Amino acid sequence: MKKDLKKVRNIGISAHIDSGKTTLTERILFYTQRIHAIHEVRGKDGVGATMDSMELEKERGITIQSAATYCSWKDYDVNIIDTPGHVDFTIEVERALRVLDGAVLVLCSVGGVQSQSITVNRQMTRYKVPRIAFINKCDRTGANPFRVAQQLRDKLDQNAVMIQLPIGLESDLEGIIDLVRMKAVYFDGDQGETIRIDEIPAQLRDDAEAKREELLDAVSMFSDELMEAMLEEAEIPETMIQDAIRRGTLSLELTPVMIGSAYKNKGVQLLLDAVNAYLPCPTDVENTALDLEKDEAEVVVSNNPEDPLVALAFKLEDGRYGQLTYIRTYQGVIQKGDTIVNSRTGKKAKIGRLVRMHANEMEEIDGAGSGDIVALFGIDCASGDTFCGGGANWSMSSMHVPAPVISLAIKPVDNKSQINMSKALNRFTKEDPTFKTFVDHETSETIISGMGELHLEVYIERMKREYNAEVEVGAPQVAYRETITQRADFNYIHKKQTGGSGQFGRVGGFLEPLEEGEYEFVDDIVGGVIPREYISSCDKGFQKSMVKGTLTGAPITGVRVTINDGSFHAVDSSDIAFQLASIGGFKQGYSKAGPVIMEPIMKVAVEGPSEFQGGVMGSLNQRRGVIVGTFEEGSYTVVEAEMPLAEMFGYSTTLRSLTQGKAEFTMEFATYKQVPKSVAEELIKAFEAQKKEA
Amino acid sequence: MGYEPLVQQNPLRVLNIGKENNQMGLVMARAGLGKTALLVQIALDAILRGKRVIHVSIGESIEKTKTWYGDILQLILQEHSVTRPHELIDMVARHRMIMTFKVAAFTRSRLEERLNDLVLQDIFRPNCLIVDGFDFDATDREALEDIKNLTESMNMQAWFSAICHRDDTRVSPTGVPAPCHEIDDLFDTIILLKPERDATIQLDIIRNYGAQVEGGKGLRLDPTTMMVKEM
Repeated sequence: MKKDLKKVRNIGISAHIDSGKTTLTERILFYTQRIHAIHEVRGKDGVGATMDSMELEKERGITIQSAATYCSWKDYDVNIIDTPGHVDFTIEVERALRVLDGAVLVLCSVGGVQSQSITVNRQMTRYKVPRIAFINKCDRTGANPFRVAQQLRDKLDQNAVMIQLPIGLESDLEGIIDLVRMKAVYFDGDQGETIRIDEIPAQLRDDAEAKREELLDAVSMFSDELMEAMLEEAEIPETMIQDAIRRGTLSLELTPVMIGSAYKNKGVQLLLDAVNAYLPCPTDVENTALDLEKDEAEVVVSNNPEDPLVALAFKLEDGRYGQLTYIRTYQGVIQKGDTIVNSRTGKKAKIGRLVRMHANEMEEIDGAGSGDIVALFGIDCASGDTFCGGGANWSMSSMHVPAPVISLAIKPVDNKSQINMSKALNRFTKEDPTFKTFVDHETSETIISGMGELHLEVYIERMKREYNAEVEVGAPQVAYRETITQRADFNYIHKKQTGGSGQFGRVGGFLEPLEEGEYEFVDDIVGGVIPREYISSCDKGFQKSMVKGTLTGAPITGVRVTINDGSFHAVDSSDIAFQLASIGGFKQGYSKAGPVIMEPIMKVAVEGPSEFQGGVMGSLNQRRGVIVGTFEEGSYTVVEAEMPLAEMFGYSTTLRSLTQGKAEFTMEFATYKQVPKSVAEELIKAFEAQKKEA
Repeated sequence: MGYEPLVQQNPLRVLNIGKENNQMGLVMARAGLGKTALLVQIALDAILRGKRVIHVSIGESIEKTKTWYGDILQLILQEHSVTRPHELIDMVARHRMIMTFKVAAFTRSRLEERLNDLVLQDIFRPNCLIVDGFDFDATDREALEDIKNLTESMNMQAWFSAICHRDDTRVSPTGVPAPCHEIDDLFDTIILLKPERDATIQLDIIRNYGAQVEGGKGLRLDPTTMMVKEM
């Protein structure tokens, strides 16, 4: 098997929508000889870029699934994971970052650092991923890589240092000056496949010298030898500079900035050189696992092929031949025929087929070593599971999973769709922990929830195309609650004594609001007025009453029920009688207890350029929000507000158009609050109407 | 609205805050002596009188500032019986907006921009501005006059906090310590917080409404709660 781990690169390409990431990846695959023709991403010649293996992606021009691909550049093995840039697919990006060692952050030379770049950057920092920045689209009108580099410093807090300069810009982009080698690089041939090295054009010489000084100043911090050489004004060999850049990048204190245009075939090969030179190999990064035998003590994975296998399943795909599981090995080796154990479930599995993935094609292999990314067939597991061999019982730390923020009600149009829909939902929830579903048995609606409207829209589309399941999409349901605001007494007799065996029970007591908690039952019965054996029946009856409130059918919460009086009949009292008496008593007291409807209030934070904040605050205000405050960063502002969930649907579209797509928002559940009178009246009216129909 | 008793019992009433709209106030003390606590109580007093407050916190987070208000409000609720505490808490939330700035990001123009955003969008018309954490060491007279002009044009009262340093003993002729010793004339009310032997913190009111005040008025901060008390 191989291979020098030092020559392995597991990288991700991460960025904002439309920064040209997929085109870039496609060019990389071309130059590394994996595919034989370059196709435009949007399919002008009828064939889409190889990486976008799904129809949907080709249509929308966006990438949905993360696809892993293997390629090789100048003797280095490079595994590339293409990750989506839209905020709704955060889980894909997070998962990819968990298994990668380094990343390329792609930016548009015109649009620069945009809201999604900020999120992605934050994720990369959270997982301590060293990165190179690639300022793409330098052939576009308005391209300004220098401004973008400055934005990297200002908005993303990166120590961004340009290691290249453009020769010409916009339609005049001809080549790139490599500041490390101090040479001009041109990309000849139809597809830019032939690299020509030349002297730096005279008119750019001064600029190049100046920028090189800046570069050396910045990186000398990471190399004593370089610092000395500079002070002594000695010749500085290329390798010394590269070493310094590598050290800075790996320590996360430096971000080398490169430029180019994937579309115009300029700069891609140099980027690949930089991936080899500056991004980490598996042994450069420390990864830890949890030892399940030792109470989850942290252990460092060794990357040693001799040690027991430790591998993380980070992506699942259900295809024609069964489930395909993508794994990253951190230790040991994995071979066909080996037996591995899922440390979450304890189940054993035998490795059948082992493949190396290329976007849509597979290459069968016999085995793989530490630091590799491969895929297994026929292994049943969930995303995030750890596999071990040779007696080890470790688990890679659990991945950070953001909570879903939006839900939609869906209803299959016919029986066939119903069956297919269940199959589809089953698969989707297994692959994606941020996508959740449950069935509301009363309305027979299925509720799906996820990270955003686009997230859910895509699943609904996929259900239709891949599973032939057509669904009607309803307005999202808000989980209302009911509660009481004052104490109320009740005294209820349940009597059915019309001959033969009857029922009798009387329960007296009061309801009062419960500050903390959902429900509390207090038994203050003295003198046996209600026999001991029926006390729990009363409790049962009250709890049944809490399930559905009288105002709008929503569950009741925050009530303490105390019973202190009652009567029974020697023959006719029973469990049922007291349950019914309690239900009656509850209803009686409830209407007198000032019942109100409550709605979920979300803590919403909208982040975007300061110039749009006025409009943003207005939009939140219009949606019954209370603006709590603003946080001023300088170039951007964060507005924090408390918003009723019921008013948040469709907000991402509103926000996008208000801010030219430059702002984004996060939403998390805060608390339940009483709804305003007008809203309550509408809800009650709707509920009454619903009851009449039923 | 039912909060008059709270207003009338508030020890701060002796300062007559809020009687005149255009007023610049200053609270000075060494670090940790209760400037933020006092400003929040001044703000709450204004809110109970029906005013709307913008609380600018420089170098602090929205969450932290919110917690200040929450804690002090709880203490007020404990001391005075209020029939519907949730309503009061809600009312306060609707009358107060927090703006936080990173130190380098606070300038008059940014402040004006943010304030205008609110007013133009008809979201919030503030009567009172609190600025906690303004760096008086790094500022000049002009910058402060600028802000004063802004607040006067918007008909807002403004209250600032300033940190004194133990080793800077410069003092203005009227008794205002550095770093505000050269700009004290811009303020109508100046309160110094001084630690006393009995571990309470005295509110030394150097000036109120432009008039020099002799001897203070016996207001203290209870160090365990940081609440203003009459002695």
